[in-house]
Amino acid sequence: MATTTMTMAKALNEGLRRALEKNKKVLIMGEDVGKLGGVFRITDGLQKDFGEDRVIDAPLAESAIVGTAVGLAIRGYRTVCEIQFDGFVYPAFDQIVSQVAKLHKRSDGVYTMGLVIRIPFQGGIGAIEHHSESPEAYFAATAGLRVVSCSTPNDAYWMIQQSIEHDDPIIFCEPKSRYWEKGEVDTENPPAGLFDAAVRREGTDVTVIGYGASLKTILRAADTAAVEGTSLEVLDARSIAPLDLAPMVTSLEKTGRLVVVQEAPHMASIGSELVAELTERCFYSLRAPGVRVSGYHVPYPPTRLEEDYRPTVDRILDAVDRVMGFES
Amino acid sequence: MIGEELVQLLTPEGERVANPNYESTLSGEEIFGLYRDMVIIRRLCNESTSLQRQGQLALWAPIQGQEAAQIGAGRALAPMDFTFPTYREHGIAWCRGVPPEDMLRLFRATSNGGWDPQKYRHSVPTIVLGNQVLNAVGYAMGVQRDGAEEAVMTFFGDGASSQGDVLEAFVWASSFNTPVVFFCQNNQWGISTPMSIQSKIPLYHRAQGFGFPGVRVDGNDVLAVYEVSRRALESARVGGGPTLIEAYTYRLGAHTTSDDPTRYRIDAEVEVWKHRDPIERVKSLLVREYHVKAAKFDEVKEEADAKALQLREDVLAMDRPDPITMFDHAYAAPHPLIDEGRREMVELGVSGGSH
Amino acid sequence: MSEEIFLLPDVGEGLVEAEIVTWKVNVGDTVTLNQPLVDIETAKATVELPSPYEGTVVALHGKVGDVMEVHKPLITFNVGGTASAPPTTTAAPVEGATSVGEGREAVLVGYGVANEDGVATRKHRRQGAHAPASSAPAAPPPPPPAPSVVASAPSALAPRSTPPVRLYAKQHGVDISTLAGTGRDGLITRVDVERALSGTPASAAPVVRSSAPITGPLSPSHFVGRDIESWSTGPKEERIPVKGVLRAMSEAMVQSAFSAPHAAVWVRLDATKTVELLASLKQQASLKDVRLSPLSIVALALCDAARHYPGINSSFDATTSEVVVRRSVNLGIAADTPRGLIVPNIKGADELGLVEMTQALNVLVEKARNGTTTPNEMIGTTLTITNVGPFGVDAAMPILPPGTGAILAIGQIAKAPWVVNDEVVVRHAVEIAMAFDHRQIDGALASRVLGHVASFLADPAAKIIAP
Repeated sequence: MATTTMTMAKALNEGLRRALEKNKKVLIMGEDVGKLGGVFRITDGLQKDFGEDRVIDAPLAESAIVGTAVGLAIRGYRTVCEIQFDGFVYPAFDQIVSQVAKLHKRSDGVYTMGLVIRIPFQGGIGAIEHHSESPEAYFAATAGLRVVSCSTPNDAYWMIQQSIEHDDPIIFCEPKSRYWEKGEVDTENPPAGLFDAAVRREGTDVTVIGYGASLKTILRAADTAAVEGTSLEVLDARSIAPLDLAPMVTSLEKTGRLVVVQEAPHMASIGSELVAELTERCFYSLRAPGVRVSGYHVPYPPTRLEEDYRPTVDRILDAVDRVMGFES
Repeated sequence: MIGEELVQLLTPEGERVANPNYESTLSGEEIFGLYRDMVIIRRLCNESTSLQRQGQLALWAPIQGQEAAQIGAGRALAPMDFTFPTYREHGIAWCRGVPPEDMLRLFRATSNGGWDPQKYRHSVPTIVLGNQVLNAVGYAMGVQRDGAEEAVMTFFGDGASSQGDVLEAFVWASSFNTPVVFFCQNNQWGISTPMSIQSKIPLYHRAQGFGFPGVRVDGNDVLAVYEVSRRALESARVGGGPTLIEAYTYRLGAHTTSDDPTRYRIDAEVEVWKHRDPIERVKSLLVREYHVKAAKFDEVKEEADAKALQLREDVLAMDRPDPITMFDHAYAAPHPLIDEGRREMVELGVSGGSH
Repeated sequence: MSEEIFLLPDVGEGLVEAEIVTWKVNVGDTVTLNQPLVDIETAKATVELPSPYEGTVVALHGKVGDVMEVHKPLITFNVGGTASAPPTTTAAPVEGATSVGEGREAVLVGYGVANEDGVATRKHRRQGAHAPASSAPAAPPPPPPAPSVVASAPSALAPRSTPPVRLYAKQHGVDISTLAGTGRDGLITRVDVERALSGTPASAAPVVRSSAPITGPLSPSHFVGRDIESWSTGPKEERIPVKGVLRAMSEAMVQSAFSAPHAAVWVRLDATKTVELLASLKQQASLKDVRLSPLSIVALALCDAARHYPGINSSFDATTSEVVVRRSVNLGIAADTPRGLIVPNIKGADELGLVEMTQALNVLVEKARNGTTTPNEMIGTTLTITNVGPFGVDAAMPILPPGTGAILAIGQIAKAPWVVNDEVVVRHAVEIAMAFDHRQIDGALASRVLGHVASFLADPAAKIIAP
C-alpha cells in the first residue's frame, strides 16, 4: 500500500497529474494555471510536463473559461476549469446554469458535459473581499449539476480524479483554508465513491454533519465534547449534491439529534436541505429538531472579523447543548 | 457603402455588380437551388407564424427578410463543419438537413432542443444571448487539438453583439487563433433597440479591434453572402483563424409573434427594405440571365406549399410528451433525486408508466 | 362535413380579450387554409388571424367593435373533412390533445400562465397507498396494567416516538426509553406514557406481556334465541335452560343426527396480509426468537371471534338440559403426534397477545411431540383449531372434540389467482372451515363467526391493533 503524507494542495496536484496522464482529452484551463502553476500552486509543474495545449493559461474571462469548456466538452474533451476564487465565479454563472447544467438534457443525452469546475471556497485565510465565499447552494439548487467538496488530502487526491472521469458536470469545492494541511494519502485505493458521505468519528449522542473546511472545526469540537461527556458522531457529507442520506439516516436513528455546520448563511442553505430531508426520514427517532450552525446573514465581513463569522468550536458546542437539552 | 464597406454582387433589382475582393462562383443551377431554398424556408416560416396565430405554437421567431443571409451562409458550409445557432437560424438548420418539424419542437414547447446535434452537426438552439458564441470557440479549440480540418460557424444578432460572452469569444478566438467564423446578422433591431444603440461603429469594425479580419456583406444578396462565407470558412479550415462576417440585413417581421414592431419603427423604413427583398432579386436574375420559365418558379411554389402543409400536419400531430420524460437525460449517471421524482410521478398515477 | 368552432386564441400579448376591428369574411364565404379572417386589436396592436380550416363560414360570433374573450368562440366553420383541419378546439381538453392553450392566460412569450382557479378536485391519487391503519383504540380505556419492563437488552436505536409525546413525557418526568411502544411499528404513544404514569402494579401472572390488554366488544350478543351478556361483562360460566325454541331445535337436531349433529361452513379467503404481516414481523429484531407462524394469527382470530360471539364458545349439556356459554377460551390445537392425534389446549388463550400466543403454541406443540403434555392440558377445551395446511390439504370437515361447540380447520396457504379491482392478481389464498354443534349453534352464528375469522385473516394488523 502506497501511503504518503502530503498537503491537500499537493494531493490535488498529484490527482490532476494522474488524470492528465490517464486520458489525453483531459485539459486544465484557468487564469494563471500554466506558467505560474496557479495562485495556490495547485497546478504547479503541469504545464511544463503536459504542454500549453493541455494546461491552458486563459485570458481573464470566467464566462469564457466555462463557455469554451462547454464547446470542448461537445468535442469530447474533459476540461478542468479553475475559477481562481469563489467570489469570481459569478460571471460564469450564466454559462454554468444555462448551458453546463442543461445541455445534456437539451440535446436529449447526445452532448456529455464531462467538465469539472474547481472553486477554492470558504474563508479563513484572512483575505480581502470576494475571496471567502460559500456559493455551493446556488449550484446545488441547479438541476443538472453535481457538487462535491473534499475535506482531507486523501479525499482531494481521489475525488478530483473521480470527478474528471464522471460524465456529469461537477462543481468541485476546495476548502482553501485547508490547502496547506497535511494528511495521509493512499495513492492506490480510493476511500469511497465520489458521492458517498463518510463517518469521520463515531459517537452516540449527536450527529454532526459538515463539509469542506468545517470538518476540522467539528472534530475539534468533538474532542472537547468528549471531555464534557457528550459523544458526537461526525459525518463528512463529501457530496453536497446529491446528498448521501443513507449513512446520515443510520446515524440519526442512533443518536436522535442533528447539528449541521456550514460557513454559508443558513437561509436556503445546504443545512436547510439536510434538516428538511432528515427530519422527514427520521421523524420518529428525533429527540430534538435539527439545528444549523451557520455564517450570519450578512455579506462576508472584513476578515479581521471572520473568526466571529465562521462557525467556531464554541458555537458548535452551543448547538450540541441545545439539542441535548430537548430531551425527554 | 457598397464596395469595400459592403460586399455586394447582386443589386436589389437583380443585376450583377462587380466587387474588388469577391466574385460569384455559382452556376445557374446552383443559383436556382438557392432560390428554391429561400422560397421554401420563407414559406415554412410563414406557415409557422400562422400556426402560432392559431394557437398551435407557443411562439415563433420569424426570419422574414433574412433568408439570403442564412441560405447563403448555410450552403457555404462543408459537411464536416459544425454550427452553433441561436433560436432563429431556421435557414441554417434547413441547409444542415434538420427536418422542419424538428425545428418547431422548441416553439411547440414539447422540447427545449428538437434534433440530434451530432447527426446534423448543428447544435441545439440557444436562447440566452451570446452563450453559444463562447461554446463555439471552445468547440473550435477542440478542433485544433484534434488536428481536424473543420470550421465552426456561430450565429448571433446585432443585439447579442453587445453581450460580454460575444466579446470574450472574440478575445479567445483571436488569442488562440481558433477556426471559427462569427456570423452576425445585423437585422437593425434588437426587439425595439435600434442598431445605433448597440454600436457607435459598424459592427464588422470590431474585429479589427480584437485582432482579426471583419467583413460586411449585403445580407440580402445570397450570392455575396455565399462567397464571403465560403472564403471565411476555408480560411478557418486551414488555420487562418477567425473572421467576423456582418450580414447587413433587415428584420421585416417582428422579433417574435409576441412583438409589435409598429410600436417602435415606422412603416416607411419597412417599405424601403421590402424593395431590397432577397428572393425577388434572385428571381429577376434567373429570369433575365438564365431565362428560367414561369413554370419552374411555379413548381418551386407548389413544392413549398406542399412542404408547408406537411409541416402543419406534423406539428398538429406533436402530442404532449409523457411527463415522465422530463426526468430523461437530466443527468448522464443515475441520481437519487431523479429516481425519487420518477417514483413519485408513477405513484401519483400521472405518468403512463415505466420509461 | 363537420362543424368546427374556432376559439379566439391568445396571440401572446398577455391578453384576456381582443376587440374585433375588421371582418375579412362573411357568413357563407368559402375560405382556404390560412386565409385572413379578421383583424383583432389587442392592447394597441392589431393582429390578423389566418384561417385554421378550409371550409365555409357558418357563424361569426361577434360584430365589429365587440370585445371577445380569449378561448371563447370566434367563428364557426363547416369543414369538408380535409386532412389539413386541425382537431376541434371545442372538445373537452384531452391529455395530449393539441388544444394547447386551454385554461391559460396569455403572456408575452408563451402559451400563457395556467389558470389554476377552481381546480379543486384531486386529479391523481398515489397508487398502492395503503389505508392508514386505525391506531386509536375503539373501546374505552381498559384498567391499566403495570408498565411493561423491557426484558431485552437496551436498544441500540433511539426510542421511537413523536415530538409532542416526548414533550409530554418530559413534562411528566417519564423516561420514554424505558417504555415499550404499542403504536405502529413499536412507536411509543401518548397512551403508553399515560399508562406509565398511572402505574398500576403488575398482576401476579408471571407471563411477561409486551402488548396491550385485550378486550372484546361491550354490546350483548345473540345466542339461543336471546341476548346474552358481552364477553367482558358476562359471567365466565353462564347456564341457560333449554326451553322453548331452543329445546325444539336441539331435540329436532338430535332426532336428525347423532348426539352431536355436525354442520359446517367454509370460506376461501385472501390471506396475503397475514403472510405479509408475518414476514414483516419476522424482520423485527425484538421478535427474532419468536417462531411466528400463520397458526398464531388464526388462534388470535378465533379467540377474537369468540369475544364477539360468545355463543360459539359453548357446549350442549344434555344431562342438565343446559347450554353452557363460557367466556374464557381454552384453545385446543389438534396435534398430530407419533402416538396419534391428541388435542391439548392453551388455557385462557383469549387473554394472550400475539407473542404470548405464539410462545404458548410452540410450547404446546413441543410437548405434544415429546409426549410430555400434562393431563390438565388435555381437558377443558372449549374451541379447537385443526391445521391441515402442513399436509397440503385445502380444507377439512372436522369432528368436534366432545363437549365443544365448534372446531376450525385451516388449510394450506398458497398462491392463487384472485380478483382485485376487476383484475386477476396473484394472492396468498387459504380455505378455512368450521364444524359446529347444531344443537345450540345455528348456521347463521357459525357463518358470522367464520366471517369474523376470515376478516381477521384478511387484515390481521388492523384487528390486532384495534380490536
